[in-house]
Amino acid sequence: MRNIRLSVLFGVIGGILTFLFEGWSVAVVGILMGISLGLAISGQLKRKEPAKLALDVLPSALVSCGILLILSLLQNYVITGVIGHSPAPLEVMIPANLIGVLGGALFLLITVALHGLSEGQERIGRLVLLGLVVIAFPFVDNFTQLGWTSLIIFSLIYVLLGMGLNIVVGYAGLLDLGYAAFFAIGAYTTGILSSQQDNITLNFWLVIWIAAAVAAVAGILLGAPTLRLRGDYLAIVTLGFGEIIPVIFLNLTNVTIKEPLTCWIIPGVERLFGATSKLSCNVIANNLNLTNGDLGINPIGRPALPFIGTFTSNNTVPWFFLIILIILLAIFGINRLRDSRLGRAWMAIREDELAASQMGIDPVRTKLLAFSMGATFSGFGGAFYGAYIAGVFPGAFQFSTSIIILCAVILGGIGNIYGVIVGGLVIETADRLFLPALKDFFTNLMNHSVLPALASQKTLHDIVAQNANPILYRYLLFGLVLVIMMAVRPEGLIPNAQRRMELHEAEEAPNVAASTSVKS
Amino acid sequence: MLELKEVHTYYGNIHALKGISLRVEKGEIVTLIGSNGAGKSTTLRTIQGINRPRSGTVLLEGTALETLPPHEIARRGVAQSPEGRLIFPRMTVLENLEMGAYTRKDKTGIKDDLERVFTLFPRLKERIGQKGGTLSGGEQQMLAMARALMARPRILLLDEPSMGLSPILVELIFDTIVTINKEGTTILLVEQNALMALSIANRGYVIQTGEIILTDTAPNLKNNEMVRKSYLGIE
Repeated sequence: MRNIRLSVLFGVIGGILTFLFEGWSVAVVGILMGISLGLAISGQLKRKEPAKLALDVLPSALVSCGILLILSLLQNYVITGVIGHSPAPLEVMIPANLIGVLGGALFLLITVALHGLSEGQERIGRLVLLGLVVIAFPFVDNFTQLGWTSLIIFSLIYVLLGMGLNIVVGYAGLLDLGYAAFFAIGAYTTGILSSQQDNITLNFWLVIWIAAAVAAVAGILLGAPTLRLRGDYLAIVTLGFGEIIPVIFLNLTNVTIKEPLTCWIIPGVERLFGATSKLSCNVIANNLNLTNGDLGINPIGRPALPFIGTFTSNNTVPWFFLIILIILLAIFGINRLRDSRLGRAWMAIREDELAASQMGIDPVRTKLLAFSMGATFSGFGGAFYGAYIAGVFPGAFQFSTSIIILCAVILGGIGNIYGVIVGGLVIETADRLFLPALKDFFTNLMNHSVLPALASQKTLHDIVAQNANPILYRYLLFGLVLVIMMAVRPEGLIPNAQRRMELHEAEEAPNVAASTSVKS
Repeated sequence: MLELKEVHTYYGNIHALKGISLRVEKGEIVTLIGSNGAGKSTTLRTIQGINRPRSGTVLLEGTALETLPPHEIARRGVAQSPEGRLIFPRMTVLENLEMGAYTRKDKTGIKDDLERVFTLFPRLKERIGQKGGTLSGGEQQMLAMARALMARPRILLLDEPSMGLSPILVELIFDTIVTINKEGTTILLVEQNALMALSIANRGYVIQTGEIILTDTAPNLKNNEMVRKSYLGIE
């Protein structure tokens, strides 16, 4: 029964997406829906023969794909009329719907059937499946002219940021409300080191490492004063840092660096003895405009590779694979970190700092390393971001950015790297892709159908015309989603086992008691 | 091995330890008995570096501990099974034990010690995959002691191991303390249950409102008029 409910949910979400994106979108949406529904369902099924499993989920496949097909047809032949678009021609509709519905069902069955194999084989199977989707995605996107890749890349940057923040919040249990500061440090380091702003133009492949290193050092510097603090107090201090760092970058517009020895120390000593200095003061940098204030740094140098050449805005495919590569390396690195001694120390600190110190764990060093490691990944993210949009602007690193990253971590499942990936994808894709499309949809709907009907009632007409823009309600919708999530599934979409236990202790406790009494 | 000299510890303005001096020799079980609020746990917290003495010194084989942070003291071989147990509730029994051996790098030694604590506490082996927080009180006490042993400490500080346990479990725990001691671990045992503590200890100190008022061998203390009256409840 639960599977059918999930199927309806996924089918409806897929259908709504076809409302917004029209045309070929049903093909892509269908296949993505099939795989994600398969992953969501198979966790609850018992392992048995693949063929039997596939047979079991046949109703789910029928329901979800049926709903998708109905909504897609409804969109093309009814909704387009209401919003004033012309329906897609049959030579698009027939293959798009066939691929979407049959492909969706097929991938759903395959994903579920994989669950019938052994655990290791299932893992490999899923990796291959996801790998295929990821590799095919930008090319399919190009072919179908949906233009999603350029926006998904932003989601992937947030995925990377979320993974970094997850080290601080999820592993070490330190609530950081100013994480965007490290993102800003990474991006501005890239901007300063590879733009015409100050005549330093280093290669991107070098700059990205420098940006990560600078962010790591900044993590230690910003972490140090917060170490004596716990819980709420720590959160407030990090909040302060998150506000300070962007302001610093905003104001680095007139920087003069003097060599201390010739400018202050030697003249100072000479003055002590009553002599006037004859040394000339060495100025390293004079009135340097490092960040260009409000206007931001623009343009920033971009990566280049042999055969591909310099990455451009027109061709998103190399950018897509670059960020995917960075994320894969980050997953590998973070998993290794989590299983290392340091990872263990983070968990122990999160559980109980006093007990951890009695095990011989140095809390100061452990926490600083958490801040620093977390910052490193946002350094990579910032460098990529700066190069991708070819500019750095102070507005991109506000408090809301920190909060959105934190929400991605919480929504996905604190402490679980795969949950955080899903959380980042969902939140940023909703923000960058879904909401603008929803806005266009509403604008068309209003202009074509609703507003003409309201022409006689001027006040109502004006109210509707002014407020029918979902982007105005961005934070409202965002808040609603969070409230609902926290009420329904507080452990996140893909929870970490420990966190889940923590939140459901009350429900699980009686079971534990029961099982112990049976044993004894 | 461990020596406290004229240790004064304060909580803000409250003078909690008023010049505590005691020593524990290698291989001994020494017990520190006293009533609620006498300063037993504060003494242990001072040794552990959680509270700093305002004056006086704590020596472990001649090295001063009182200026070191808690994790450095732990690394020098002082392990504690704390009051209230302080186990990691969301880690499994095995993970808790592995945390105990955090500072050690000898993998085979750690494996041997795991076997050893499972022999001492067979119950823990049954619960090996269970989360620490779901264990019963007695099992948590065993886990805290086992975790402390995993560090292969030079001296083991036990804070109220009998607290909140049934009489049968108390017997079991105290038998295990004796076994651990026979296997070569020096023990400083802090207890309210003076009768049990004195029956297994070599020597004892009686602490009252932050001062050591009496010290002697355990059998002598057991027969001491004042101790019998105040701590053993025997007229």
